[in-house]
Amino acid sequence: MIANLLDGIVLGLQFGLLAGGLTLVYGLGGVLNLAYGQMAVLSAMAVVLSMEAGLAPIPAVAVGLLAGGLLGLLLDLTILRPVYRLQGEARVLLSLLLTLGMAFMVDGFLTWRYPTKALTLRIGGGPVEILGVRMVRGGVVASVITILVLSGLLLFFRKTTLGRAIRSVIEDEQGARLVGIDPQRMLRLILVLTGVLAALVAVTRSLVTPVAVTAGFELTVSALIVTVVGGLGSVGGAILAGILLGIISTFAASSIGTVLSLIILLVAAAVTILIRPSGLLGVKE
Amino acid sequence: MLEVRGLTAGYQGGDVIRDIGFHVDEGEAVMIIGSNGAGKTSLFRAVLGLLQPSSGNVVFQGEGISGLAAQRIARLGISFVPAERHLFPRMTVQDNLALGAYPNRPDPKTMKVVLDLFPRLAERRRQHAGTMSGGEQQMLAVGRALMSEPRLLVLDEPTTGLAPKLAAEAYQALRTLKGSGLTVLVAEQQVPLAMALSDRGYVLENGVISKEGTSAELAKDPDVRRSYLGIA
Repeated sequence: MIANLLDGIVLGLQFGLLAGGLTLVYGLGGVLNLAYGQMAVLSAMAVVLSMEAGLAPIPAVAVGLLAGGLLGLLLDLTILRPVYRLQGEARVLLSLLLTLGMAFMVDGFLTWRYPTKALTLRIGGGPVEILGVRMVRGGVVASVITILVLSGLLLFFRKTTLGRAIRSVIEDEQGARLVGIDPQRMLRLILVLTGVLAALVAVTRSLVTPVAVTAGFELTVSALIVTVVGGLGSVGGAILAGILLGIISTFAASSIGTVLSLIILLVAAAVTILIRPSGLLGVKE
Repeated sequence: MLEVRGLTAGYQGGDVIRDIGFHVDEGEAVMIIGSNGAGKTSLFRAVLGLLQPSSGNVVFQGEGISGLAAQRIARLGISFVPAERHLFPRMTVQDNLALGAYPNRPDPKTMKVVLDLFPRLAERRRQHAGTMSGGEQQMLAVGRALMSEPRLLVLDEPTTGLAPKLAAEAYQALRTLKGSGLTVLVAEQQVPLAMALSDRGYVLENGVISKEGTSAELAKDPDVRRSYLGIA
């Protein structure tokens, strides 16, 4: 019982981190990035290749985070260019189609070039005891890192001028322009930041379970579900929904099996949307 | 300080304003009056970079600014308060004001000036902007615009949605600001209020400027009296 709860929180925190990135880009720029999971996987592969080239794990992880940020920048400078010329629904739709195409290409390339590679990071030492439950050390470390990053993120958005400026674009883009904020620059910044977050998700996840080259779509779909439940554009919502769905998913997996747990997740998402169309902490349209 | 020449702009359906020319001198308050749909909002949007003009020039303090993005113009010392206000609804009064100073940190002295001008905002510093009344939101919009210490304050129909008493209060605040040396440009349908504030004015009709003069001259003009002051 408590073991499931704690495992659920470990998973849920990663859900939250994953969805946080997706929801920020959507809220800020009306861009739905369906290649988000692939960004995480590409970053993971950067870590794997760096380690194979002889780098120690920590510098290799740094390379992975850098790769994630660069992928975000690349997205902004290349395939999102035509998206930026559109507004409203057309913008969401084109971003969705282009990034989905990108995702297929990345998946195709990775399974062709590196069919069997996976990122697995191990942390030495035995299990850690929490509330009388023995937890895998990797999971605990992953959660601590995730909690630190999420808290840092929330502080950044609440306390710093730049963080407030980014939120103001989500709140009212025209209002932001009127006080001298360039929404396009904020979006580029957030694409780089969420690229780093995607890489971080891959790294922390690999402390618990291997991140294979084929993991991209599963990550994107999880992020989408969590984003929708949490409310588009709300990082707090993403964290809350992530933890809730993580717990639900873990309980479902242990009681009725892994395959059905994804269905349970989708049902939970559908029910949330029926009751609160804007998500747990989303803005009402 | 601000000079507009031959400004023409519109949307896909055609030009909304045509060949507009007007100027605002340092320390003046200037009004643009006109009825609903005359083109006041489009004119301001074109001047401030929110609508791309198809021709014409806008010069602010000797520098051509037409065609610049709104965020660039905002940083040159012009603050715009649109009729819809465009506040940040889920952010506190404090954060809305602080963002007005972007990219700088809010200057405590300016913050004090704003809160002295609008004591209601001081009482509600921690409240979310979206939960405030229309009058308070208008105060916040003006306050936010002042935080960057602009040279020129531009307001589009600041009395939109305000009860008469609150509208009069809003203009009282503008008079105080003008008295402190701020240059003000205002578009208004409630002409008597704007007229009491302004030194000069322009009448905008169907997208063109049909009349101009000092407020005293316009107040005597029979057409203005009939159309905008409700005096036969």
